[in-house]
Amino acid sequence: MTPAATEPDDDNSVKMMDYFMQLEYREPLCPVVRRYADQLLEGRLIGHQCPSCGLVYLPPRGYCPICVVETTDADETVLSDRGTVTNYTVVTPVQYYGQHETEPFVRASVTLDGGNATMNLQDLVDVPVDEVRVGMRVAAVWKPKGERSVADISNRSWGSAEGCIDGWRPTGEPDAPAEQFLGKATF
Amino acid sequence: MTTHTIEFPYTRTLGPVIGPFLTGLRDGHVLGVRNRDGRVLVPPLEWDPATGEAIDVDFVEVGPAGTVETWAWVTEPTRKHPLDHPFAFALIRLDGADTALLHAVDAGSMDRMRTGMRVVARWKDERAGHITDLSFVPEEAA
Repeated sequence: MTPAATEPDDDNSVKMMDYFMQLEYREPLCPVVRRYADQLLEGRLIGHQCPSCGLVYLPPRGYCPICVVETTDADETVLSDRGTVTNYTVVTPVQYYGQHETEPFVRASVTLDGGNATMNLQDLVDVPVDEVRVGMRVAAVWKPKGERSVADISNRSWGSAEGCIDGWRPTGEPDAPAEQFLGKATF
Repeated sequence: MTTHTIEFPYTRTLGPVIGPFLTGLRDGHVLGVRNRDGRVLVPPLEWDPATGEAIDVDFVEVGPAGTVETWAWVTEPTRKHPLDHPFAFALIRLDGADTALLHAVDAGSMDRMRTGMRVVARWKDERAGHITDLSFVPEEAA
């Protein structure tokens, strides 16, 4: 017996099923990242400077992977919230599930003044996509203190300040020479 | 503490047997298929699990009442469970079927559960063509 409503060629029949898989992880932040997050809430960017080679890691990792030495609170350094765009990508969004952007946008690497510390995948604000260039001087746009959140900071979000900084705004200063940033690896 | 959520929003096709089965649930019927030996398989399958032979699709309406063959009480349901309060997962052989369907029995209390008890389908008012369009309750409570 086949009830009329269930004929396979009945256009109103059920042919597809949403199969929504969701995995939720909760993890404690490791102490150096917890400290980084607490300082972000205060409006400060901190890193650890390797006592051996002098490279600065942001956020702190608790070690220098090049020298294989531990870094501690004693190696902590407060970093500038101004810097230079040293690389960027224009992303043209495809409307896949979870993509909220609809127009082309930039993700930039910003090397902070005074050292090598570089924040990757940063938003730029108040600048058209086609005006972005390597060497552009920018400053962090902090959210007001009460609106900052470190809920999205993870142990793996290297260089992220999402939830505390809206992005980086051009300062209007003359560009830094782009050549000095070419062929460099960032950490 | 930080929380990360990874989501995979798949849509899958249902095929010539599960599609009509879920369409039946949406419309308030439970359908099985009859295999070559005349046994009625619920939930319906495209192949006979006993022989591996393809099944000639011949739908049979079963239930809506049936008999609990075995059960396990769920004391603390998770948010993915079909009911938000304690319930039993049970293998239910619906009237007219020769195999059992795994589903939820909303018995209120574990004391009301026993193997061999009679249960009957309780349908949601708004059905989507999904296995959660129904659950089961003890027959005396229906």
